[in-house]
Amino acid sequence: MSRVLLVLVLAFAWIDADADSAYPVRPLTYTVAFGPGGGNDLMSRTVVDIIRQYELYGDQHVRVENRPGGSGAIGYGRVARQAGNAYVITSTSGSFLTTPIVSETSWIYRDFTPIALLALDAMFLVVRTDSPFVSIDQFVARARQSDMKIGGTGATGPDRVVAGLFAESAGIEFTYVPFQNGSGLLTGLTSSSLHALVSNPSEVMGQVAAGNFRVLAYSADSRSTVYPEVPTFVEQGYEVEFAVPRGIVMPAGIPADVRDWWIAVLKKVVATPEWKNYLETRGLSGAVLWGDDFGDYLGRTDSEYRRILNSFGSIH
Amino acid sequence: MEDLFANLASGLALALSLENLVFLVVGVCVGMLVGLFPGFGPAAGIAILIPMTLGLEPTTGIILLAGIYYGAMYGGTITSILINTPGESATVASTLDGYPMTQAGRAGPALVMQAVASFVGGAVGVVLICAFAPALSSFAASFGPSEYFLIVFLGLLLLATLMGDSLLKGIISALFGFAISTVGVDVISGAQRFTFGSPELIDGIYFVPVAIGLFGIGELLNCIYTGEHKKAAKRISVTIFSRAFWPRAGDFRISRFTFARGSLIGFIAGVLPGSGATIGSILAYSVEKRVARDPGEFGKGDIRGLVAPEAANNAASAGAMVPLISLGIPGSGATAVLLGALLMWGLQPGPMLIVDNPDFVWGLIGSMYLGNLMLVVMSVVAIPLFIKFLDVPYRLVVPVIVTLCIVGTFALHSSMIETWILLATGLLGFGMKRFGYSPAATVLAVVLGGMAENAFLQSLLIGDGSLRIFITRPISLALTAVVAAIFAAAALVRLRALRR
Repeated sequence: MSRVLLVLVLAFAWIDADADSAYPVRPLTYTVAFGPGGGNDLMSRTVVDIIRQYELYGDQHVRVENRPGGSGAIGYGRVARQAGNAYVITSTSGSFLTTPIVSETSWIYRDFTPIALLALDAMFLVVRTDSPFVSIDQFVARARQSDMKIGGTGATGPDRVVAGLFAESAGIEFTYVPFQNGSGLLTGLTSSSLHALVSNPSEVMGQVAAGNFRVLAYSADSRSTVYPEVPTFVEQGYEVEFAVPRGIVMPAGIPADVRDWWIAVLKKVVATPEWKNYLETRGLSGAVLWGDDFGDYLGRTDSEYRRILNSFGSIH
Repeated sequence: MEDLFANLASGLALALSLENLVFLVVGVCVGMLVGLFPGFGPAAGIAILIPMTLGLEPTTGIILLAGIYYGAMYGGTITSILINTPGESATVASTLDGYPMTQAGRAGPALVMQAVASFVGGAVGVVLICAFAPALSSFAASFGPSEYFLIVFLGLLLLATLMGDSLLKGIISALFGFAISTVGVDVISGAQRFTFGSPELIDGIYFVPVAIGLFGIGELLNCIYTGEHKKAAKRISVTIFSRAFWPRAGDFRISRFTFARGSLIGFIAGVLPGSGATIGSILAYSVEKRVARDPGEFGKGDIRGLVAPEAANNAASAGAMVPLISLGIPGSGATAVLLGALLMWGLQPGPMLIVDNPDFVWGLIGSMYLGNLMLVVMSVVAIPLFIKFLDVPYRLVVPVIVTLCIVGTFALHSSMIETWILLATGLLGFGMKRFGYSPAATVLAVVLGGMAENAFLQSLLIGDGSLRIFITRPISLALTAVVAAIFAAAALVRLRALRR
């Protein structure tokens, strides 16, 4: 019995010693806190495919697991609980910041090690092509006279924040109509039930290309490389600057050299043609921030969320 | 019209290429298997195979994934008929007459008829896609929250016809379902209701564990209670050559119009994004019961009560392709995953898809014709195997089904809470069965309750808090008129009964 124990102890000691000298020596679990097919899942799988294709994770295996539920509460909670585990990783999205603000979770963004911001998913303000609004100023002028109905996905998500920032800076009142998913939102506008909607570019791209929808403004700080013809809110005089951070985090308490190892790998990932193709087809801007810079960015975005959601009384 | 045939011919030719054919076979086989496991729906099946399709041509990829999607509709009914356990909300209505047929020793004809009905529904659906897709997509696009609310409300009204012996008990069952559907985040305010601080309840209670519990586990407990497990195994030896295997000529005669009505109703419901196939199967079942001269037979193993929802849910899964392809709007969980796959291949779903990638769209439509044909042949060949399952003594079947139900439920989201919900609703389902309540009404209310609430509140937000929105929009007005007509007809019937 004691001999078996000794062998086991030695075996673990050996694994530990190895972990100090080399990374990676074990398979990686890439946790996706959402269901398959969504924006976060698509980004995570793109990263994993690139890592596999260019053999960036040594000869070890990378496993993707979807842990959806509770707007990310379950998946992110699962990663947060594994503090110190250098073999688990996950992607951020809007809910990474909003879910802890609006519900009771056991974690917030500070319970993770920030690795990298890989892209920014900013929003479009969209109207119907047959509406009288050709520019955002016309929309604002009408909004001063009558109550406008602006739709978005979720009651407390990024869509609401963008709509709220816009109304605040234009000094207008509006009714926000939350939808449970992107497809319900889209039919809200195709059926003329709404005056406008706030959405990811990728969700409305098809309708815009077909000439049914018109984009009035983009919520990033500069024009998108994919849609250079769409003006930003800022250049039209409205202080709206907001995007969902699509980045990568790991549990708290991982060794600094593992973090640097991942930063180096992800720098290779974003340089590949496959990644550029992903940004293009999804209409994302490829903003990158590494390590603590990403952490600071998450902190700033978090306080912005809290301020806006507080002003709506969405925090219970 | 000539264009249509030329397009269709090129689509069929594309679907018949060796590579596409191989993947079509793989798709429909996987779909059927996926449908057979309780809890493991088409959405999960498609999601698992998506990474496999990345290296394929998009047309081949969609042929594979769509095969899983409609193949699961065939497989899903088999468990509804044999063990009274629907794995999909769209096959709940099929348990109502499918399972009584099995109990009466007519599992063979039931399975054959469901395969035929599924084929007719699927084929009619594909024909209608070809003929009316452009017109239908603008119809689907004109459905906003107020129209959705009215459609769901219509579905809820018709739930009453599914409710077996007592209307009062049926309404209590449905209200219980509504109560379950209030758990989770309220979409409109973002507030959490009845989650008790558990992150697993934030998204609400998913209908799958409830359905498997109420039907599957509940039925097992009931069989044990009635001493079914003590009986010697019935030897049912059927092959495709024995007469007991095939439906009788009378079965076809009595349901010949049922096929047409079910397919049409299902298709229209499927085109409308939302819970298309579920509402379609309820509508088809209740319409069939209304037009029948002998509605009393329904629920006791009437073949029409099986054909109607089956033709409808398969026609609906074809119909659901219309908004997905022409508008980029997925109508269900499974089609939402398909949408993700399209984006992954670099295609942009939306009105321009058919213009920019005609091969993709017509290849898919062509493959759907072939796929439905394959599925009906496969089902008929495999049915004797499924029926063999009934040969196994009940005391051996019970542990297998319990294990399958628990593993299937846990595999959904790896959630212990959902597994407990399964066991709790299992006990409840047994009680409901003993005292004549309607598990079907409960499950469908869980599915439709949340949709109705959201659409109603969205309508009120848009209409400035006034109910006028339900009559000022043209389609809403028409739907309101239908609802009013149903109430008026019910009142008239009651009045006449009183006078007599």
